[in-house]
Amino acid sequence: MEYIGEWLWAAHIGRALVALGFVSAMVATVSFVRGDISLGRKAFQTHALSTFAVIALIFVLFFGHRYEFQYIWKHLNNEMPMRFVLSAFWGGQEGGFLLWMFWHNVLALLVLWRADGWQREVMAILSAIEMFLGVMLLGVYFGDFQLGLDPFLLVRQAPANLGLPWTARADYLTSIPQFADGQGLNPLLQNYWMTIHPPTLFLGFAATSVPFAYAIGALWRRDLTGWIQPALPWSFFGVGILGAGILMGGAWAYEALSFGGFWAWDPVENSSLVPWMVLVAGAHLLLINKNRKEPTALFSTLYLPVLSFLLVLYSTFLTKSGILGDTSVHSFVDSGILPQLLAYLLSFVALGHLMLLQNVDHRKAFGGLALASLALVAAGFHALGILAFLAVMAAAAIRAFRRDLKTQTEDDALWSREFWMFVGSLLLVLGAIHITWQTSIPVFNHFLAPFSSAFTWAAELTGWDVLNTLAQHDMAPGTDLDRTYHLVQVPLAVLIFLMIGLTQWLKYKNTDIRTVRSKVLRAYIAAAVITAALLWAYDFEWHEVPRVALIYATLFAAFSNADYFVQMWKGKLDALGSPLAHVGFALTIFGAVLSTAQKDIISLNRIGDISTLNEELNNNTDLLMMQGDTLPMGPYFVSYRERRQDGIHVLFDMDYFERTPKSYAQGDLVLAEGMVWQALEDHVASPLFDQDVEDRWNFLPFPTKAQTQRATRWVNGTAGECAFTLSPRIQLNARMGNAPEPDTRHFLTRDLYTHIKWGRVTPPETDEEGWLGGQSSSFAVGDSMFVGGVLLTIDSLRVIRDEERADRGLLDDDLALAACLGLRRGRTVEMHDPLYIVRGNTVVPDLYEAEGWGLRFRIDAFNPADETLDMVVWEHESVRRDFVVMQAVIFPQINWLWIGCILMTLGSFLAVRFRLRQRKTSRRGH
Amino acid sequence: MKRSHIVLLLLVATTMGMFISFITSTSRSVGFDTAFSDPGVEYKVSGTLVAAHPVEYDAQVNTNLTKFHLQDKQGEIREVWLQQSKPTGLERSESIDLYGHATVEGHFHATDMLMKCPSKYNEQNHLLETDV
Repeated sequence: MEYIGEWLWAAHIGRALVALGFVSAMVATVSFVRGDISLGRKAFQTHALSTFAVIALIFVLFFGHRYEFQYIWKHLNNEMPMRFVLSAFWGGQEGGFLLWMFWHNVLALLVLWRADGWQREVMAILSAIEMFLGVMLLGVYFGDFQLGLDPFLLVRQAPANLGLPWTARADYLTSIPQFADGQGLNPLLQNYWMTIHPPTLFLGFAATSVPFAYAIGALWRRDLTGWIQPALPWSFFGVGILGAGILMGGAWAYEALSFGGFWAWDPVENSSLVPWMVLVAGAHLLLINKNRKEPTALFSTLYLPVLSFLLVLYSTFLTKSGILGDTSVHSFVDSGILPQLLAYLLSFVALGHLMLLQNVDHRKAFGGLALASLALVAAGFHALGILAFLAVMAAAAIRAFRRDLKTQTEDDALWSREFWMFVGSLLLVLGAIHITWQTSIPVFNHFLAPFSSAFTWAAELTGWDVLNTLAQHDMAPGTDLDRTYHLVQVPLAVLIFLMIGLTQWLKYKNTDIRTVRSKVLRAYIAAAVITAALLWAYDFEWHEVPRVALIYATLFAAFSNADYFVQMWKGKLDALGSPLAHVGFALTIFGAVLSTAQKDIISLNRIGDISTLNEELNNNTDLLMMQGDTLPMGPYFVSYRERRQDGIHVLFDMDYFERTPKSYAQGDLVLAEGMVWQALEDHVASPLFDQDVEDRWNFLPFPTKAQTQRATRWVNGTAGECAFTLSPRIQLNARMGNAPEPDTRHFLTRDLYTHIKWGRVTPPETDEEGWLGGQSSSFAVGDSMFVGGVLLTIDSLRVIRDEERADRGLLDDDLALAACLGLRRGRTVEMHDPLYIVRGNTVVPDLYEAEGWGLRFRIDAFNPADETLDMVVWEHESVRRDFVVMQAVIFPQINWLWIGCILMTLGSFLAVRFRLRQRKTSRRGH
Repeated sequence: MKRSHIVLLLLVATTMGMFISFITSTSRSVGFDTAFSDPGVEYKVSGTLVAAHPVEYDAQVNTNLTKFHLQDKQGEIREVWLQQSKPTGLERSESIDLYGHATVEGHFHATDMLMKCPSKYNEQNHLLETDV
């Protein structure tokens, strides 16, 4: 059958290109391995071209709105602005892989173009990586097993739709309305961060593969030092780009999502941070060895770049396979490609570890053992098999460390640059191990499962509770970030920054420490002065000593490196990338730690009376704002002006007013602490009533009625000029549920970050007469609740007297109980008494309306045992006021974070440029 | 002091720190039966929202209290008091992880919560399966 209007040719061409890309990557891999460089180059160029063509073709389909293609239908719709087409392209897994391949090809073509002496080895590895990525796009089925996700899949060919009646209609594209429009990209992803963050991060991911390829090439050739020079610029390129990508992710979370901060130690964030930390450590080891004649720590120098790339694969596996499940807020759901992601990961783990061994027979032996353990996986013992596999890999690494890559060098001098660079790198790796460990707990549970009975047995034998926990294999990562991460990361970071500050001044080989001491002294003092000033300006508690130490260490590192930068400045930036990057790194962490530790949730304040209702309210971080009310909040007064809709957003306009001091004149009456007070003299209110009560206020024990009515609630300030308006918003998102988006006011020294925690996006539903609500609640005498702007209190219960019966329309035999309700709005108080009537054996429903208040009540049940009643309350739309629940946080000094990010990236690229030039001159020298 | 001594010292200290952080921070993912046999101890409980009970959130009474019922993986249903404003998309969640402790009053007091929603980035073709 011919389907009408389909671009079937595009699907054919696309699939042919994907297949060509895969085959040419395979040919390139084999050719480079066998040493046929000219064929390899041609094959790889073919691969790169076909990959670019695939990407171009998908863009053509996007621009043509070809909704017969599943990928287009899922990620585009007619109303989506075309500026988001890039975001839509990498909004799904297939596009993510293509983006990765794109950068990977660009970098590999650069390697081809430079064609240094390592071309054969490096290109063989890069082609192999491309081959594996190409598999991810094949979309071939073997029975039920799916190999790859086909980006050119037509909707009618999707497994879920196969055999549905409409797929048999030739004119389905025109006759079925669903194909006139796509589903569109998830609105959460429709912002400019989504346009710049993924490409930067994926370029960073792709960049880790080049140092990996050089390291494997070195192991392959057994030339363990010659690769260091060419791999250096690539490593620092990866450090700079990956670092920028990670920080952009943080900026996105802070600016556009309502996570309430920019770093949440989420598994997805962690799994991109860890490869970066390992790459930074590896790049520094490369530097050490570049500056030595005799190589040192060869194992780590080779192993860390390898590990960094393997961790990128692990990160892909964690986020794309669905194994993290519920522990992350933004991992992908399982798309059925877990087995092949695992195969990808394990293949490169095997390659990386077996190549560490020198002897080919050893490689074969360990490889055989690894295959045997994978056979266990195939036989169904998944966890056991993978555990055995990892054990074999660890054994290979240990063997290589102790024998094959052992370096017999003298210890470095204590005050040499390389020694402290080595220790710093080691600490970074330890930090990375800790983060990986905590992030991988859901994975560990899978590994613990087969040993459950053994642990139970051991627990019974020893009585250790820990073993029982292991036997249950139900561990969950902690939610207390201080204990889960900061406990280890903060002390490590303190040491790392102290070393960054010191080491920059040390020389390679050995340094006279006395000369260094005077040089770091200035930074030492400057950091101490600033830290003391911060301690004076902000409240730190005693348990925050490690945090203060970290602030001090980052300041020391920043000052020391800035000092170095200034003193070494000779009009040329060339060699100054490293102090610049170090200043940036230190400032980033300084800004992060200070703004997070001293963040001030100013929405803690509450409406005067409400706090007395419920003690739990004292823990509240969110502020209830009625429309039109002006409330004090932190250093401002804030007022909820209006709600309006703009496209897919509902915006809540919040006006912020400067706080002007409140002055009281002699004789003024105020209400404070539940009592009436009279001013003794003219004065300007202090921040707290307690500070004024002694000298300025006179307590009136028996105020007259007139005095009580005249008294106003004591305030320390009033709303002055409107300073600015913030419009936090709620994004209407039919597919994922509405999502709040923050609005932030940036100041030089702080940010005011606000978002809506709860808000109505549409007017509430009412009946024909305009009544809304009708929620039943249980009340006891003394209970209160707010209905709109009215405070409702159950004052007492009383039995109806006989003389009242006629007025209330009761029969003589009726049993009736009245609930005395106090209604209060502002200063108006009124009593009302809805009835609970029992006639014979049945309850007579009695609807009571409080005239003028817009409220209606009905008591449905009375429970004599605990004297509670169930009452339904309705509110009339005419009296209803809109309200929102909002949170507002002040992040002090957060701008240092962004300045640091920029300096760090800039410094990394200066280092890349410097190393490239150095390579050029050294090549010329040969 | 030799270079390797410094390195060794740092290694030992970090390993100890890691061990302490792992032991003290990791909670267990359990069912309500375990949590309620041990009130006050922090646990993680996973389950699904019980649609038969309404989600109670009245911002005018308490902006940071949401009450709902959760059915754990063993099928036990308990009332949950979540000390947060009502999370967006709670009703459409597929599964819920709660972090908190059981109370002697019989409800589970949750301080933190993670939800899994049906579509994060990937979505199904529900529309076409059902409507066409």
